[in-house]
Amino acid sequence: MEKFADPRETFAEALLEAAKKDSRIVALSADSSSGSGFSPFKKNFPERHLEFGIMEQGVVGFASGLATMGKIPVVATIATFVTSRPFEMVRNDLGYMKQNVKLVGRCGGITYNDLGPTHHSLEDFAILGTIPGFTLLSPGDPLEIRKATLAMFDHVGPVYMRIGQQPLPFLYEGEYTFQIGKGVTMREGKDLTIVATGTVLQKAIAASDLLKKKGINARVINMHTLKPIDREIIVKAARETGRILTVEENYLRGGLGSLVSQVVSEECPVPVRMIGIDDTFVGTGPYEDLLAKFGLQPEQIVETAIVFLRK
Amino acid sequence: MQRKGMAVNQLSEQDVKRLERIALQIRKNILRMIKAYGKGHLGGAMSAADIVTALYFQVMRIRPEDPKWKDRDRFVLSAGHKCLVLYAALAERGYFNKDLLDTYGALDSKFPGHPDMHKLPGVETNTGALGHGLSIAGGMALGAKLDGSDVKVYVVMGDGELAEGSNWEAAAACAKYQLENLLVFVDKNELQISGSTKEVMNYDPLPDRWKAFGWAVREIDGHNMREILDVSTQFPFEKGKPSVVIAHTVKSKGFSFAEGKASYHYWKVTPEELAQAERDLAEMERRLQ
Repeated sequence: MEKFADPRETFAEALLEAAKKDSRIVALSADSSSGSGFSPFKKNFPERHLEFGIMEQGVVGFASGLATMGKIPVVATIATFVTSRPFEMVRNDLGYMKQNVKLVGRCGGITYNDLGPTHHSLEDFAILGTIPGFTLLSPGDPLEIRKATLAMFDHVGPVYMRIGQQPLPFLYEGEYTFQIGKGVTMREGKDLTIVATGTVLQKAIAASDLLKKKGINARVINMHTLKPIDREIIVKAARETGRILTVEENYLRGGLGSLVSQVVSEECPVPVRMIGIDDTFVGTGPYEDLLAKFGLQPEQIVETAIVFLRK
Repeated sequence: MQRKGMAVNQLSEQDVKRLERIALQIRKNILRMIKAYGKGHLGGAMSAADIVTALYFQVMRIRPEDPKWKDRDRFVLSAGHKCLVLYAALAERGYFNKDLLDTYGALDSKFPGHPDMHKLPGVETNTGALGHGLSIAGGMALGAKLDGSDVKVYVVMGDGELAEGSNWEAAAACAKYQLENLLVFVDKNELQISGSTKEVMNYDPLPDRWKAFGWAVREIDGHNMREILDVSTQFPFEKGKPSVVIAHTVKSKGFSFAEGKASYHYWKVTPEELAQAERDLAEMERRLQ
């Protein structure tokens, strides 16, 4: 039986752990406190919990000003409301000013399945990735959410981390070193490489395990940092496996597949296939069914991989 | 950290005159930069010149020789296009060599068309896009308050800028957190690029709007040094509230050919106008003797 954890609860525990060690951390809520994992923080540090109401632009500016005064502000709310909605504030007040502010987008991708496109966030990494100096984190397992959260606070500079809503399985067998900008090889293999990130990393790993039963050894790389991207691990995979398949819960335009393709085409051109969400507003329905619409279930990834290998 | 004990009624006529002379020098510095490049955002820089002078030369607790000093007061120029007045004041206050002013408009100049805190000492924020400064300043004031610090935060906004909705998000939050250490000047020169602010997008009556958002409000003549000093040293105007000053000003104040004309929001210099600008400043200097 696989073990699962709620990503927001995991983030909540990690935030509390970080906040106990560093009194500079303040949490800014845009009427999003309990849903974003701020509740334990608020209970322990009520004076460091700041509520702004449904104010997603102003709250980013306030975070910037607090950072000027030496605080380490974390703003957490629904992913699209902390990225698309206040984009110019994120770009200028955090990125251009190089402020030490942490943004956490929860219920990212299409994990807010039933609420529809206004609440989906498939472009957050693409748009924030255009901001010089921004670090983008996309952890794919509960242990990794904890490690990414702690690393985010240790890192000096603006960071955006996206987490999902659905419970996440534990994918790591034991301890490992999490380092911003360094991908992790989750499965060894020489026949092709699957590079995956975030919520659908689990699908890529399951696909690799299914492929193995068919005698195909697919390497799986967990790209938990989308910026700066780990060029080295991508080039090595291209060189050693000759084919790369990317798996992500993002728009393909500007997502993981685009980033990997850029590196591969510049440094070691090999065929690349991308699985993700193409140019469309995703409808509503059960989360797993929505993923299946875009070929993101393990059996579908296996199918794509097999066709890809034949070409 | 002690502040200068300076009740405004103790300021002599001479002190006020001194500041008026500095304000003239600030205007000269603005002209110097525009002359170097041949163009620039004139109108708003000139309308805010007296306010910015008072802040940098009398009101704010700052150390130009130590621009990152932790306990300095903060100045946020929300209307970033008025940056010539900020550059002029920082140069005059000794944050950097005044000769640098002549590099305005040059490739990779330390004086971009909107301020960049990483290029020039003394600049606190990267403004330019409107409707950002108040929330950043609010964060600074809140940070100081959380730490029990006596740092104060001063903001200059434009009146046209108030059409940005994000300002009103910030205004509500500043009131919620009772930021007594925050003083905002609205440089109400009544004009923006497209014309009269009343006609382009009216936000009058400003005092009522700010009051409704939980602020304490005063109105002054934004070119009267004593009135500027008065409000700058007497805030918070009400206990538990952030303070805003509606400063009635004249766009391009000081240049006879440009005063009160929206077209000089951004001035592309002609030789005749330049000569007139220099004559206007000389006349101002004569009057201050």
